[in-house]
Amino acid sequence: MTAKRSQHGPLVSVLISTYNRPQYLEEALESIFAQTWPHLQVVLVRDGGAAVEDVVRRFSDRRLTFINRSENRGLPYSFNEALAHARGEYICYLGDDDKFYPHHVQRLVEAIQSQDRCGAVYSDLYKVHCRLKPDGRRIVLAKNLEISRDFDRMLMLQFNHVLHVSVLHRKDLLERAGGYNEKLNVLIDWDLNRKLCFYTDFLHIPEITGEYYGPVGECDRISVQRRKNVKDYLRNVLTIRTTRPPKPWPCIEDLSVLILAERLDESLEQTLRDLWSHTFYPQQIYVPLSREEAAGWKPAVPNVIPVLVEPQSPLEQRIDRMLAVCEGTYAALVPTGLPVEMDEVAWLERSLQPLLMCRRPNQAFELAEATDSRWGAVFRKSELEYARRQFNHLPLRRAVEAAGICIRKPAFEEYPFQFDHFLAAAEQKQQEGDWVYAAKVYEYLAEHFGNELWMRTRQAHALEQAGRLAEARETLEQVQAVRPTVSSLLIAARICQKQKNYRQAIDFYEQARMVLETRDRCRRIVSPARRKTSWKPASDEPAMVS
Amino acid sequence: MDFAGALQNPDQGWMQRYDVLKELGDCYASVGEYDNARRCYEQASWLEPDEAGPYVGTGVIELQQGRLEDAELAFRVALRLDGCSSRAYAGLAMIAQQCGRLQQAFDYYLKSLELDSNHLTALLGLFQVSCQMGTFSQVIHYLQIYLQVHPADTAVMFCLAALYAKEGRIQRAKDLLKDILALEPGHEDARQLLEEMEHKAMQKGGYSL
Repeated sequence: MTAKRSQHGPLVSVLISTYNRPQYLEEALESIFAQTWPHLQVVLVRDGGAAVEDVVRRFSDRRLTFINRSENRGLPYSFNEALAHARGEYICYLGDDDKFYPHHVQRLVEAIQSQDRCGAVYSDLYKVHCRLKPDGRRIVLAKNLEISRDFDRMLMLQFNHVLHVSVLHRKDLLERAGGYNEKLNVLIDWDLNRKLCFYTDFLHIPEITGEYYGPVGECDRISVQRRKNVKDYLRNVLTIRTTRPPKPWPCIEDLSVLILAERLDESLEQTLRDLWSHTFYPQQIYVPLSREEAAGWKPAVPNVIPVLVEPQSPLEQRIDRMLAVCEGTYAALVPTGLPVEMDEVAWLERSLQPLLMCRRPNQAFELAEATDSRWGAVFRKSELEYARRQFNHLPLRRAVEAAGICIRKPAFEEYPFQFDHFLAAAEQKQQEGDWVYAAKVYEYLAEHFGNELWMRTRQAHALEQAGRLAEARETLEQVQAVRPTVSSLLIAARICQKQKNYRQAIDFYEQARMVLETRDRCRRIVSPARRKTSWKPASDEPAMVS
Repeated sequence: MDFAGALQNPDQGWMQRYDVLKELGDCYASVGEYDNARRCYEQASWLEPDEAGPYVGTGVIELQQGRLEDAELAFRVALRLDGCSSRAYAGLAMIAQQCGRLQQAFDYYLKSLELDSNHLTALLGLFQVSCQMGTFSQVIHYLQIYLQVHPADTAVMFCLAALYAKEGRIQRAKDLLKDILALEPGHEDARQLLEEMEHKAMQKGGYSL
């Protein structure tokens, strides 16, 4: 399949898979066909479940490709099937119960074409909290911007922060990454984004271009139900974290973990399990084993490569053997038997992150838990190799020192996820009622860690709660000027209300209400000729004041 | 104001639409647009039928329009939904006060303040009813509590100073009046009361400021 470009600009393939939600599919499809970007291909896959032919028939549009499969094979399979039919230069996705605003595709295409660095772009979406009526209709309760986070590769490797429906990416990148993993049944969006981030940066467009729906209370969403099976969920998480898409990786430097073990024993097996569950950075784990030990040994975790060594051989010799075969730009020396906290999520990354950030040569960082007897550290592989080559007569740590490598433990401020640490601190202060302090932290975050609109909104909220209304208003004006949301309108209204400026408060509240009650933003510009069905307003919902 | 979502992060929670409608109702009520306010409260209670706020709001606008029976009904519904609604008790107290049932008004105001010692309307209502009934000890207690949280509220400070004066606690009354004038030099009532007290003191035995 070749990507097509016409006078209308590049073709965009919108992939949508549906399973047992025909009542929402029509709205979802309408929102696609109402896009201001005309050069679309829509690939709809019925992944078994309820029949949707009636819905599809209402859209007699040549841009629609309908794959009508009666067997339920799951979302990854469906998207791979849709991908096989996709002809677009770019790919984007829509859930069968979600909605694009009319400018969604256009905004993202403009963004991806305006620069060369990012092969994937994403916008913001409202999460629509709704209550389901017995007939399946949705009563909108809130529209929140729950995720509006600038791209952070380290975070993406650890967990997802980019919504599937908000992404548009070059098709060739996903082909390179190997498509969707059909062994997964949840978090497939994270798997996709994580794999893409090996090949490209993502560009965040902090603009709201659609909605995804989340019913309050008991939810029948497949992804929500599946998350309740903790064991299975964890299996998915660990599968995703250990996935190594095909090389070369232009955006990620590989890490080789060299296990400092004298023998194959339970301590070594435990270290492998700890690496599997307490680290996330892409890595391959090299284990020194004698031929006897290696025979018949099957590691319990993925990405483990046995390296044959002489039985009883000294540690330095084992390291040299592993260094000779490992591929990583970075090398972590990890002793067995090192304790790891239960809730640790970045065991090696705490020492790797400062090295990734550090431009100076000859730097290395010890593992935070390392002791003299159980010592480990993360190096640039070339520098460790140099130290071993030049000073191979010395013990490991002496050789490192002799090579001029400056080695120390990382400071807390150098750990990854500083933004999240500060965010948690601000939220803690909020809970304690110290809104002024929380506002200061949010301001600091906005100034130093990006995510500016999100943090400024939080700052304004905290200032409003602290009663510092003038400052709150000033902060909020910065947000409103760029991207007003229901939340920011509510904060603005509350400020006015507290200042007894009821007229202006009414104005803000009415704006917020309009966003909340506009159920069919996308329908406004659907041409009458294209619309085959009319929207029926909910009859038992009271008429709203205009 | 009792925002359901005020303490959580602005980007979380699912009571947003309810909050908007309820607060919009309060704002419309504040500018005298009672029909709009009533509609907002109706929609808010349609969304969240178990929330007391819209019924309290409806009670307030009925009260403001002099429809005491409708107001009382709304406040009682609110109390059935939320037995700790300070505003509903204050509303019932105002109705009782308007109907001349002073003891009942006093009890309701007191209940309202027990639930929310920062409820200014209840505090001032209690002050008025106390003046009408001639009993001050409890209102002094609540005024003091309120001022611990709102130390610069000159209206409440003045009420307390007046009560101190009435109870013969002259020095405390004068100190408070001086505090009011320091905060708000143009507070005429405070100035006059202070002058009156000075005048009386001079007449009694040469006391001077």
